Amino acid sequence: MEKFLLKNIDNPNSKDVNEYIKTEGYKAISKALELKPSDIIDEVRRSGLRGRGGAGFPTGMKWSFAAADPKKPKFILCNADEGEPGTFKDRPILEKNPHLLIEGMIISGYALQAEYGYIYLRGEYPRAKDILKDAIKQAHDKGYLGDNILGKGIRFHLHVHQGAGAYICGEETALIESLEGKRGQPRIKPPFPVNEGFLSKPTVVNNVETLANIPYIMEIGAEAYSKIGSPDCPGPKLYSVSGHVKNPGVYELPMGTTLRDIIYAHCGGIRDNKKLKAVIPGGISTPILSPDKIDCPMDFVNMPKHGSMLGSGAVMVFDETVDLAKVCLRAMKFFEHESCGKCTPCREGVGWMRAILERICNGSGNEKDIELLTEVSKNIIGKTFCPLGDGAASVVQSFIKDFRQEFEQHISKEAGKEIKAAA
Amino acid sequence: MITVTINGKKITLEKPVTILKAAEIAGIKIPTLCHHDMLEPYGGCRLCLVEIEKMPRLQTACTQYVTDGMVVWTETEKVVEARKGVLEFLLINHPLDCPYCDKAGECDLQDLVVKYGPATGRFAEGKRTHPESYDDPIIVRNMERCILCARCVRMCDKVQGASAISITNRSSKSFVEPFSGGRYNCEYCGNCLTVCPVGAIMSRLHKHAYRPWLIEKEVDTVCSFCGVGCSLTLQVRGNSIVRAVPKIIGSLGKGLNKGLLCNRGRFGYDYVGSTNRLDSPLIRKDGKLERATWSEAFSYIANRLKKIKETYGSNSIAGIASGRCTNEDNYVFQKFMRVVLGTNNIDSVAGFAYAPAQKFFESIFGQGVTANPMHGIANSDGIFVIGGDPTSVNPVLGLQVRAAHQKGVPVITSGYMQGLKMFSSKSLIPNPFTETTLLASLLTGLMKERPFCGLNSAFEKIIRDIQPVEIKEAEEICGITSKDISYAIDTLSVMTNPSIIIGRDILQRAEGHTNLLLLAALIYLLNGRIYLLSELPNEQGLVDMGCLPDTLPGGRPVTVDIFRKRYEEFFGVEIPSRSGLSLMEMIDAAHANKIKAMYVMGEDVVSNVPNTKHIKDALSKLDILVVQDIFMTETANLADVVLPSLAWAEKKGSYTNLERRMQMLGKAVDGKGMDDWQAIAEVSRMLGFDMDYKDSGDIISEIAKVSPLHKDISYEDMADGECMWPYKGEPLRHGMSIEGIEISKFEIRKSKIGNRVYIGIDNPLFHAESLSRNSAALHSIAPETYVRISKVLARELSIANGDYVTIATNSGSIELSAQIDSDLPENIVLIPNNFDGKGVFTVMNWKMNTVIKSPAMDFTEAVIKKVAHVSKEATIMN
Amino acid sequence: MLSEKAVVEINQIKGRYHDAQSSLLPTLYVVQREHGWLSPDAVEAVGDLLNVPKAAVKGVSTFYSMFRHKPMGRHLIQLCTNVACMIMGAERLVDILKSRYGLKPNSTTEDGRFSLVIMECIGACGTAPAMLVDTDFHDNLTEQGIVDILENYK
Ligand SMILES: Cc1cc2nc3c(=O)[nH]c(=O)nc-3n(C[C@H](O)[C@H](O)[C@H](O)COP(=O)(O)O)c2cc1C
Ligand code: SF4
Ligand code: FES
Repeated sequence: MEKFLLKNIDNPNSKDVNEYIKTEGYKAISKALELKPSDIIDEVRRSGLRGRGGAGFPTGMKWSFAAADPKKPKFILCNADEGEPGTFKDRPILEKNPHLLIEGMIISGYALQAEYGYIYLRGEYPRAKDILKDAIKQAHDKGYLGDNILGKGIRFHLHVHQGAGAYICGEETALIESLEGKRGQPRIKPPFPVNEGFLSKPTVVNNVETLANIPYIMEIGAEAYSKIGSPDCPGPKLYSVSGHVKNPGVYELPMGTTLRDIIYAHCGGIRDNKKLKAVIPGGISTPILSPDKIDCPMDFVNMPKHGSMLGSGAVMVFDETVDLAKVCLRAMKFFEHESCGKCTPCREGVGWMRAILERICNGSGNEKDIELLTEVSKNIIGKTFCPLGDGAASVVQSFIKDFRQEFEQHISKEAGKEIKAAA
Repeated sequence: MITVTINGKKITLEKPVTILKAAEIAGIKIPTLCHHDMLEPYGGCRLCLVEIEKMPRLQTACTQYVTDGMVVWTETEKVVEARKGVLEFLLINHPLDCPYCDKAGECDLQDLVVKYGPATGRFAEGKRTHPESYDDPIIVRNMERCILCARCVRMCDKVQGASAISITNRSSKSFVEPFSGGRYNCEYCGNCLTVCPVGAIMSRLHKHAYRPWLIEKEVDTVCSFCGVGCSLTLQVRGNSIVRAVPKIIGSLGKGLNKGLLCNRGRFGYDYVGSTNRLDSPLIRKDGKLERATWSEAFSYIANRLKKIKETYGSNSIAGIASGRCTNEDNYVFQKFMRVVLGTNNIDSVAGFAYAPAQKFFESIFGQGVTANPMHGIANSDGIFVIGGDPTSVNPVLGLQVRAAHQKGVPVITSGYMQGLKMFSSKSLIPNPFTETTLLASLLTGLMKERPFCGLNSAFEKIIRDIQPVEIKEAEEICGITSKDISYAIDTLSVMTNPSIIIGRDILQRAEGHTNLLLLAALIYLLNGRIYLLSELPNEQGLVDMGCLPDTLPGGRPVTVDIFRKRYEEFFGVEIPSRSGLSLMEMIDAAHANKIKAMYVMGEDVVSNVPNTKHIKDALSKLDILVVQDIFMTETANLADVVLPSLAWAEKKGSYTNLERRMQMLGKAVDGKGMDDWQAIAEVSRMLGFDMDYKDSGDIISEIAKVSPLHKDISYEDMADGECMWPYKGEPLRHGMSIEGIEISKFEIRKSKIGNRVYIGIDNPLFHAESLSRNSAALHSIAPETYVRISKVLARELSIANGDYVTIATNSGSIELSAQIDSDLPENIVLIPNNFDGKGVFTVMNWKMNTVIKSPAMDFTEAVIKKVAHVSKEATIMN
Repeated sequence: MLSEKAVVEINQIKGRYHDAQSSLLPTLYVVQREHGWLSPDAVEAVGDLLNVPKAAVKGVSTFYSMFRHKPMGRHLIQLCTNVACMIMGAERLVDILKSRYGLKPNSTTEDGRFSLVIMECIGACGTAPAMLVDTDFHDNLTEQGIVDILENYK
């Protein structure tokens, strides 16, 4: 299918505003500004677009909540924290197609009657920061941003705000806290950001990819858009594929493309023709899948039916050589490091799981450890303040469920040694 | 109407509350750790998880609001399992040192583990280690015990507004610490100690000094330090106070302070047990004060007073009362002076500012105009503060201002106020002593914005006659930009029920009376509520009990016959109809040998009145000086007879706070001295006038009979802490009269103050008048006196922080270490008055403000020199 | 404490937000760029400049792993070892840095040339293993490649 989100990224100057305009860029704005804000929201609702940040929340609905709140000013925040390990799908938009995002934000701003937008960009993308700043300046000079957009008296100001290395700040309320210059710990919900977000004002937080879809919807219309990919969560989707495939990278495919197609048809299969051992389909906080599950369509609706989640669409492919216990341990180290520390189960429990896994991996674990690990994960799941802790625990559970032997190996290996020593 | 079912129990509620609250109402306890009723919901510890029907996940009761028809279960197997899990997680890093930990016995975590069963200790790896910190004189920090509920941090940020501590780092590596990482350098309110559920932050003063279960009794009382009158509980063991804690029931703070305290209230009580306490009467025999028996002392005093009265007449005797003594003490004192000795020469330091200000406002707005509940401040739609920093003079009242600001209420402050720096929408810092001009310009501006309401046409006429001051002029004189002044005017002009908070500094001025008029005008225009800052716990009571030269108990002017008669009939004695001398007039009269005897109850006049040398000379001229006190004060040092009295925690009685709320003291320990009222009663008996009170209760019932304001009052009325003005009494409704205001006397001085340097009083948060001199705890926080010097001046004289400087004035000279301050105007230096022999009054001079008969303390010029050698001991040379 | 230039930049940053504290993270970046790390004095200065309590500034700055609270070497190597990079051999790269430069995670070389910080995913999983040196991205790293690259940083 023709690319939209990754349109002309092969063009080395794609980030330049004129290049963007050459390929129909900023057309959608003029189109949108003809419509009433409420019509745009309605269009987005009918398009069936669902948030690409991971939760898959219907974007049109989120917008209508914020639009309905009388408080002013309103804010639109772009979530460019892209912290989910395995995910690098937003990066090409940010670095190669920044004007697509900016255009999407301007339209969103107008639709929401929000005069201020911030792009919360992860600190780990220093290059994207400079690119976005330049792009914003260009857009300004062209009259797409500012106090009188395209002479229509519409106001929208956009700034880049750089995070500083905290995965939790991808969570929308933590993101808002962080933007307010506080420790990035999640807030109690309700109230939801759409009513009390940034500086307690109505705030919409959307993922980069979500916002990048807006111009497309404006361009081809809700009808056409809703026919792309899975019926109940349509649209183009960016899948970032990493690990042992021949051609890793970011792929723009219709939502609902199966894992198998992604891995074999698009990424050329497993490299060195090794065997596929496992796949993490949606970023490290989504449950790991065994090869027998890869025929499931990668979308918000079908993945849960197969025991995992679409998450950020970050497909991590492991061939037969990979030691999954070590992968699990590394994942836990990540969650322990990134826990914001607010709630007990995540702060204390995740570290505990890491410790047990460490034990197992360095060969000093025993049979009971796998049960203990399961116990601890049970005490975390469903009891944490935000999904981070839950994610960590469900990951461990999924590893144990489908790949128990990977852990047992380390344990019995050790046992075996002991016997030799005894002899 | 919302109906919820908790554990099968149906309850209906007007408005939605959290499940936790609902359960509490239903009498069901849900365990919590990070929740505290004084703080916003947090939802961090996850202990309050409950099961809600039709909800797959467990929910936290502290954050989840009830909805109609909700069915909640708080102790199902699933819930109990979850809590066990959470507790096990908490114990991963929590040391099991309960036998050693002071918190054991009042530790929430310990109690919960007992309830839900000890963790099976399946965690094999080592615990987080973090050495206990003893870097602070007051607070011990043990981060191994911390469970990161963030209660202390939230208290410090959101309630106290000190923001001195924060969580450092992230994840399981996080811990709480002050900025320095060691010493707290904070406001030492200790409110963090109140909310810490475990032994992570504790008072060092009590380290291993006691165990909760060894407390023998707990006595509820009110604080003895300032006019707010916070409720607190004294924990007693043996005959000594082991700890003072706010009165908290459940996790709800009681009393007007709602569970908050300041550093003085929480830590300063130790003066009661000080080894410097007087324990025996002393009589001066050939120049030296020597121990004597009570009866010796009483008869000595009686005989001398008798003679003086006979030879020089009643008005050669004067008495000074104290805002640290109870209503009962002060009532008996003024009765003694008026009825037994026959003079109205009664006053106290309350006469410097508090009393005249109140009198002035009452004469315009009616009696009781300052009797406003403190919590009105946070609920008003605007705040104007002038003449003193509430956060240091009356700290817990100051928190109201901070709370208001955090709610977005506009706060305008006039004058240098460290404690409100981060809590004011506009901070106006005029050049020294130019507030009059500033106030006048604000008034001029407001008159253009706000019409008169017509309620008091007489006063409106007076206001019209006040000469206007244009903003430009004020900018010139006060050194504040027109922009800022206009901003203040605009902000003030839209307020409909602002709180006007007034400190003494604005009154102790040559133009104190003009400032009063301007403030009254402002208050009238804005329909403001008045709050008078009060440094003494019973300053108001002292006034209400008639310890003023011109006022009888219940605020009745002594000069008005019908009022006076009532008392004369009651006592069967004539009371002089002319007003007596004010404190400063007494001093001058003593100098002029017109006052021969002075009876001082609980006031260190020498330390607390400007120009130490002058007052010492005056007192030395007396034929007899009698001093009742709990310490050997500088005044007692000059006395002929010294009577040891009981300290606040050793006596029964009542205080009246700055809201005019009457509250009861609780007797916690026995003291060696005698109740002030009792000593006086003894003397008066020897003078042939029987005062046979068995206890303070008898006195209150007499007050209830004779003082119309206190009609029928009794301790029962005060028991619930809600005994508010006008009680059951008859206040004097003579307001709306403007007698005593001769507009001609009020003129607005607009001269610039030039480039001389003057002296001002600093009100440090950590001390209270001279009382805190005997609190080891407060001295460990702030051991040394100092002089605050502006950055500019410091640069001019090349003075660095901590350098020693001499400050010389026409009344003395003193050597102090400099504290450089960027917000202070350049031509004033501030010196506190809370350190022995080094107080500001040793160098400050005064002039009599003849309109309000109080000392004007402005315009004491000072010469400031850097001391070459750095001496540790500050010295005075008079 | 802060240079004129920094103060000017910080005041510009303030202009982008509705309240001062929102400009805290960008401000800390400016200060870190200038001093290489956030000393207690710097943290205090930022607090004064933004009228945010200094303890709060400390709490915030220590929450984020990209703010440094001790001096760093001339060049900061931020090497990702998260899963995607790990399975593509990132751990061996860590060993190389150790053997070649004596550089351990969270430490600085004797000569103050490099500091090494282990990163969680830096969004280069498709071209793993990857690292940031100062603000430059380097990916598809190999055992020889990483040394060649680092040799360009003196
Ligand atoms: C721990 C955690 C991390 C998250 N990280 C990101 C992220 O890096 N980028 C993102 O867009 N959304 C992230 N999210 C989802 C956001 O909370 C939010 O749902 C999303 O930004 C909404 O945008 P959308 O509706 O366009 O998906 C994260 C959520 C959680 C719980
Ligand atoms: S689960 Fe708890 S500790 Fe973990 S990130 Fe979320 S709020 Fe923070
Ligand atoms: S009390 Fe509810 S989570 Fe701590």
